Amino acid sequence: MNDTRLWWMLALRRFSVMLSKELKQLSRDRVLLLFILYAFTVDIFLAASGVTLSLNNAATLVQDADRTAASRELLGRFREPYFRITGEALHDRAALAALDRGDAMVVLSVPDGLGRKLETGEPVQVAMQVDTTNSVLGFLATSHAQEIITRFGLESALARMGLGGGASANLPAVENEVRVWFNPNQEDSWFMGISEMLNIATVFAVLLPAAAMVREKERGTVEQLVVSPLTPFGILFPKVVSMTGVILVGVAISLFVVLIPLFSIPVKGSLGLFFLVSALYVFTTAGLGLFAATIAHNLAQAGMLSILIIAPMLFLSGAWTPPEAMPEWLRGLMLVSPLHYYLDIAFGVLLKGQGFAELLPSIAGMTSIGLLVFGGGLVLFRRQFD
Amino acid sequence: MNFKRVAAIAYKEWREIVRDRLFFSLAFVVPALLMVLFGYGLSLDVENIPFAVVDHDKSAQSREYAYRFIGSRYFRFEGYAINETQAARLIEDGRVRVVLVLPPRFGRDLAAGQPVTMQTLVDGTFPSRAMTTKGYVTAINAAFSLGSIAQAVSQVTGLGRDAVLAQLTPVRLETRYLYNQSVASIWSLAPKLIMVILMLSPPFLTALGVVREKENGSIFNIYASSVSRGEFLLGKLAPYVAISTANILVLWTLATMLYRVPFKGDFGFFLGATLVYVLCTTGIGLLVSVLVRTQVAAMIVTMIVTMIPAVLYSGLIIPIVSLGSGARAMAHLMPAMYYTDIVVGCFLKGVGWAALWRPVAILAAYATVLYTAGYLLFSKRPRT
Repeated sequence: MNDTRLWWMLALRRFSVMLSKELKQLSRDRVLLLFILYAFTVDIFLAASGVTLSLNNAATLVQDADRTAASRELLGRFREPYFRITGEALHDRAALAALDRGDAMVVLSVPDGLGRKLETGEPVQVAMQVDTTNSVLGFLATSHAQEIITRFGLESALARMGLGGGASANLPAVENEVRVWFNPNQEDSWFMGISEMLNIATVFAVLLPAAAMVREKERGTVEQLVVSPLTPFGILFPKVVSMTGVILVGVAISLFVVLIPLFSIPVKGSLGLFFLVSALYVFTTAGLGLFAATIAHNLAQAGMLSILIIAPMLFLSGAWTPPEAMPEWLRGLMLVSPLHYYLDIAFGVLLKGQGFAELLPSIAGMTSIGLLVFGGGLVLFRRQFD
Repeated sequence: MNFKRVAAIAYKEWREIVRDRLFFSLAFVVPALLMVLFGYGLSLDVENIPFAVVDHDKSAQSREYAYRFIGSRYFRFEGYAINETQAARLIEDGRVRVVLVLPPRFGRDLAAGQPVTMQTLVDGTFPSRAMTTKGYVTAINAAFSLGSIAQAVSQVTGLGRDAVLAQLTPVRLETRYLYNQSVASIWSLAPKLIMVILMLSPPFLTALGVVREKENGSIFNIYASSVSRGEFLLGKLAPYVAISTANILVLWTLATMLYRVPFKGDFGFFLGATLVYVLCTTGIGLLVSVLVRTQVAAMIVTMIVTMIPAVLYSGLIIPIVSLGSGARAMAHLMPAMYYTDIVVGCFLKGVGWAALWRPVAILAAYATVLYTAGYLLFSKRPRT
């Protein structure tokens, strides 16, 4: 009974000594601290305020060979927020040059006789050239143009047949009101701000512990730790705990200083749950970093290995591109990325107000990855000194 | 400047890199692997959007409306929901992204020639996807609506339905896709991946290379030697630029062979312009390494400065025109945006110096500024 108590007290003492060592070491690197602060405030502010993921104002050049009221009416419908008419192209070559330079994205050509043919009901074709070097923008511009043209054609045809004007209310049209949920106004800033915060937390969670570990190896101080009465767990655990603490403070700063006051993100769920899960996430991800650290012999190697871990995690998490579009094998790969679960959890808690019960599968998935990675890391760490 | 000394430094650095087998292989493996992963993973196509239907009407017309979506390859039918509450829960759980709500009397009103208002709920958690989804929904709805109007008009006028349909769409849009005729997302993606990867890996290699000497203390050998600042930096950077140049070729080969992106431009121009870009990104690494003292800081600063801007503020996922003012300023401050124009121009548009001299000039100026700053800030007698 007394022995167990003694053991626990010793373990706690060792833990607190190691923890204060780690925190001191971190706090002495001023540049690093400043940069952590920058990343969790300015960087997140920029991402949240700056980025809107919607199509704005595709620069459009027009060629109007008709010059009638009808053609002006049609071109007048190509307006913001989807199109921005920047000018008139005098001939085809000028239009093509503008597309080549990237000055214009769309060139619309209205043929001679549009107005006349509309009156007689003859079919007429409007030509559109789209720069599809960006395939998504090209698609959106085309689909908006299609919508504008169809509606214009329908209205003029109905008017010609004497069914238009006020009588259009008596046609069996289906009006579809599309409502976008959670972010009713597609507040991209919420989305971008939160995912940027998670990304930054990920970068630090992998890099900080990995770097701290490899630095000890490189300088040889790890030998001192290994010959001390500390167990491998006793060496690794305080490192991870201290870094987790720093990162959680960073997340708190970005949440309470940037995201909530400046962008009024509605915290619908429990903040306690969010921080609890964040701690779990940082822990898990730190395990990945330590994994890299045990393989690497110097910081340069550790750095390249962590790029290999971090870049796919951030790029393929589903925050920037739809996961439905990924091939099967990559989606399988993403199941082992803790960020994949954390993203669901963070959005669930902050924006959707989900609770522990609804998030249980995600939390369980993340925890099991964490245990696996941490366990593996411990085994590897021990083995390299045997 | 004594080139013998530069060569000696470069040779020393090269030996150091090559002897570190793991690091040397990672310098080549990381870019190639990222190219493969991102090429398959960063697809911007929106297909198989899971959706559910709440049908309060259960008439032939409402079923036909739903079938327009079920039959589309853009949507994947997940089943009917009983009411809006259940549908809302499906969206909240992320099981479906779109819910169609068809009101009672949908069929009856349409048959009576009355307009109908219905609702579609779209999960807005991913705004770019929500936008594209909205586009698909609107297009399918427009087609259905047009068919329904045509039906009504044909009943009034006695003309055939197809004839009425043709009359109702007198204006057709003839679309010509330029540069990327099949609107393949990989064609627009792969060239930009070269931009991102060359933004990630060279600065990282460089920053660690210089700071390593600082942290190990081996830089005091340099401080005490007759090697000048310029000679040291030049020799130090040369091997990293060489590695990155080899990587340019690897990435170009992957883009053209693996992803089959056409290369329409002039290869010489492409190589030259890319080299200027690599000098820029290497310069970022140099500047970071001069400013920080520890490798940990070098790693983190480089990663935050390069990785996230390279994705968000470069036109890779979000086009520059859609950026807000702060982010747009950020984009103009980073070399990535200018190089995006170059690499897309070379691959897809087949344009050369005449159309792209401006971004190349900006990149060259950028590199000059970075190296000058790095040179001025690097001191052989640092305050410690």
